[in-house]
Amino acid sequence: MSGKRIVIVGASRLGCEFALAARAAGHEVALVDEHPQELKNMSFDAPYFYGSGLPASLSDETAAFDNVLSSNEPLLECVENEVDVKVGVVAWGAFHNAANSQHIGTPKVGVVSREGNELLEYDALVLATGSRDFVPSFKGWELPGVLGGKAATKLLVSYQCFNGSNCLVLGTTSLAVEFARAARERGLDIAGFVEPTSAFRAGQADEAWAREQGIPIHFESVILEASGTDKVSSATVVRLDGEDDKSEVTCDTICVAIAELPNIELPAAMGCGLEFAEAIPAWVPILDANFQTTVPDVYWVSTFNDVDDQVARALAAIDGDESRSAVQQKRTAEGTNPAEYINLWVSKLSETGGTGVILCQCETVTRGEFLDLQPPRYLKSGLRHPHDAVTGGDVGPKISQDLLKRMTRVGMGHCQGKRCRDEAAILLSQRFGVPLKDIKPGSYRFPVRPIDMALIAAEDDDYHTREKWPHWMHEEVVPESVAGSAQR
Amino acid sequence: MNNYDVIVVGSGLLGLSTAYHAQKSGARVLVIDRGSVAYEASSRATGYLSLRADDPDEAPLAGMAEKLWDTLDEELGYPTEWTQKGRLWVAFSDKQVEELKGTYKAFTRADFGFELIDADACRKLIPILSPETRAGLYTPRSGHANPQRVSQAFAWAFQDHGGTILEHTPVYSVIEEAGKVKGVKTKSGDLYAERVVLCAGGYNAKLLEPFGVLFPVATVRLEALVTTPLPPMYEVGFIGLNGLSIRQTRRGNLHANGGPHEWVDVDADSEPNKPNTPIVRNLVRRMIEAFPVAKGAQLLRTWAGVLDITRDQKTIIHRFDHPEGLLVAAGAGHGFGMAPAIGIAMSELTLNGATNAPIKGLGLERFSTLSPNWKAEKQWHAGSYNT
Repeated sequence: MSGKRIVIVGASRLGCEFALAARAAGHEVALVDEHPQELKNMSFDAPYFYGSGLPASLSDETAAFDNVLSSNEPLLECVENEVDVKVGVVAWGAFHNAANSQHIGTPKVGVVSREGNELLEYDALVLATGSRDFVPSFKGWELPGVLGGKAATKLLVSYQCFNGSNCLVLGTTSLAVEFARAARERGLDIAGFVEPTSAFRAGQADEAWAREQGIPIHFESVILEASGTDKVSSATVVRLDGEDDKSEVTCDTICVAIAELPNIELPAAMGCGLEFAEAIPAWVPILDANFQTTVPDVYWVSTFNDVDDQVARALAAIDGDESRSAVQQKRTAEGTNPAEYINLWVSKLSETGGTGVILCQCETVTRGEFLDLQPPRYLKSGLRHPHDAVTGGDVGPKISQDLLKRMTRVGMGHCQGKRCRDEAAILLSQRFGVPLKDIKPGSYRFPVRPIDMALIAAEDDDYHTREKWPHWMHEEVVPESVAGSAQR
Repeated sequence: MNNYDVIVVGSGLLGLSTAYHAQKSGARVLVIDRGSVAYEASSRATGYLSLRADDPDEAPLAGMAEKLWDTLDEELGYPTEWTQKGRLWVAFSDKQVEELKGTYKAFTRADFGFELIDADACRKLIPILSPETRAGLYTPRSGHANPQRVSQAFAWAFQDHGGTILEHTPVYSVIEEAGKVKGVKTKSGDLYAERVVLCAGGYNAKLLEPFGVLFPVATVRLEALVTTPLPPMYEVGFIGLNGLSIRQTRRGNLHANGGPHEWVDVDADSEPNKPNTPIVRNLVRRMIEAFPVAKGAQLLRTWAGVLDITRDQKTIIHRFDHPEGLLVAAGAGHGFGMAPAIGIAMSELTLNGATNAPIKGLGLERFSTLSPNWKAEKQWHAGSYNT
């Protein structure tokens, strides 16, 4: 049988499952995953919030490849089953013919490795891009030793490379417990859990485990400040019900495991339609009954899709088998009402921490400067700034994050908003009383990770492109780098 | 409620500049757009003031704009990142040197100072230039600003004066009664004003069709990118004869624009789709060829915009006699730098019927013999792709 060319982005459980099923169905499958990442690229805090305290031992790339591969059994199974596994490779962009771009030819994904970049043509593209950390700001969150729950777990379990030995965990979610259990198994100490409500979010069994381990649980509390000179050495935890009731917790790591949100940069930047899923709360691709996005032949599989057989359904659609009954798309996130939980964290951190806390680490912008729409500090001061972020008249979105980032630069730094965009939206929502769904998120752009210029530069600058480029008004030529050689 | 003195269609830089000046002069002005403020040409501009030294009709307007830029931050009250350190065209091959000499000859027709300089002199202005640099064409006048900041600055300053911006509201037609403009028909109902100014880029052509006007503008999609920030290296506006313009922003990012260019159609109802293509990799390659030091940076962000090119690549500023109260303006791929001047000219034409701004030769009269098929003849029709 002649298989289709399927490119899968993300060697998550779902990505690997898809790859194996597609191979079994006779397709030609490439599976692209950005791990193991280069140490310097991890400092951009994508896909996870690694923070600034990454262990230098991560620069041992041979060890990183061994560790990351050997800890991912489904991926090894993919290798054995002749899936073209490309690890340490970033899918930085994807291209297809669409309105105002009619010369792409066969749809293709741009991938870049440590060696260079190439364009992979596909018949179907499956995005299994997983999730990322939601880490709201607090005083000292830029210190080495602060990192997200996804990042911490990945470093510990997959890279097997972790700097800390005594970790304070923010949140009592399943992610928080997953990290804590992995840490305890490796002999690390957990200095405590910090939880703004009076309930252990992951449930009674996990709470019992924590108590059995002798881990202190700070209920009705948030973090006020992470302290330390060149690294976290302690955290100040403040009770929300008492008056000025603070306690110092000694720790070298603060693992922020409040929530995880879907990674949508690639579908968003390639033009897949998005909708706001209140239950997560986040923007997610609009999907049909077979998990196909609004861009033809592009599928999104995710743990945020609350359907068990999404791999089988999407694969059947790729195979042209439409016999399955339509499925109602539901979106879920772990726990009850994660939106409320996220909102609670952000509002309590704001109330206790104040407006002087850095919101945007890349551009050093505080919460107060952002909400007052101040221009950045490197521009001359004394000029006006608008006092209201709300625009749009009586139609359309009420607040545009793109508009605000033009002024404040929040979201324009080298992390491209990966650290700050969600909290920024929630802060706007709380300050101006506009529902989160009415805050138009900042645009997502290629490349979805910052990429070394030397690696992304085109090697195939053909004669026509080279000679005709500067004289663009006068002659019609479709360069090979756009259309591919087959289209000439 | 729905009555204004002036309705400006299009919230790009030209529309906002026009609206700002009209509102400041005391008129009640509405700016209306099918999309968001400055999301098409204005967010894609390189950010250069183009001194059109080769064009005797445009050069005076560019000269007027140059003076306005100096005080624009104070005028508007918001930062624009204007930097006036001149512009430098650079040739990297013998062939490009010949082209440069041709450009120099054309530029000497106006009285902006231009000089041909050698590679060493080029490197004094831009120390990071490639060893392949052969020669440059330099003007100490001209400068650059941050296009998104400038557009937003005009928008906010306009609102500070009491102006209204209505986003995400498609305009379907201009309402005319007995030879006079009455307002515009929009998706949210009719809005009324006796003066309507069209600053809607390629969509101007569609709004003018019912009046029997062949508006000679074509729309093109172009791509842009920025690198991660680098230490301050140069301040002039760089134009490479290898086909891209690069300025270093105040923050330190290298910001580049260049071909190729896909001609597109625009419609009433939505912002045009503006995807990027793999061609951004060719842009990166050119940037490294011009500035080898760029190899040490990362590609941070790419985006595309659509902009409007008039048939003769020259600004259009026109006030119609029929219907009375209708005006139109269009940049021509280099409207950014001239926008402060165009706004004043348009505002005065709108409110007073005349202006002292130097707009002679920029009206539609010059296209009286234009073929209705001009776009196809020039290969500027939608779908056509030029490098």
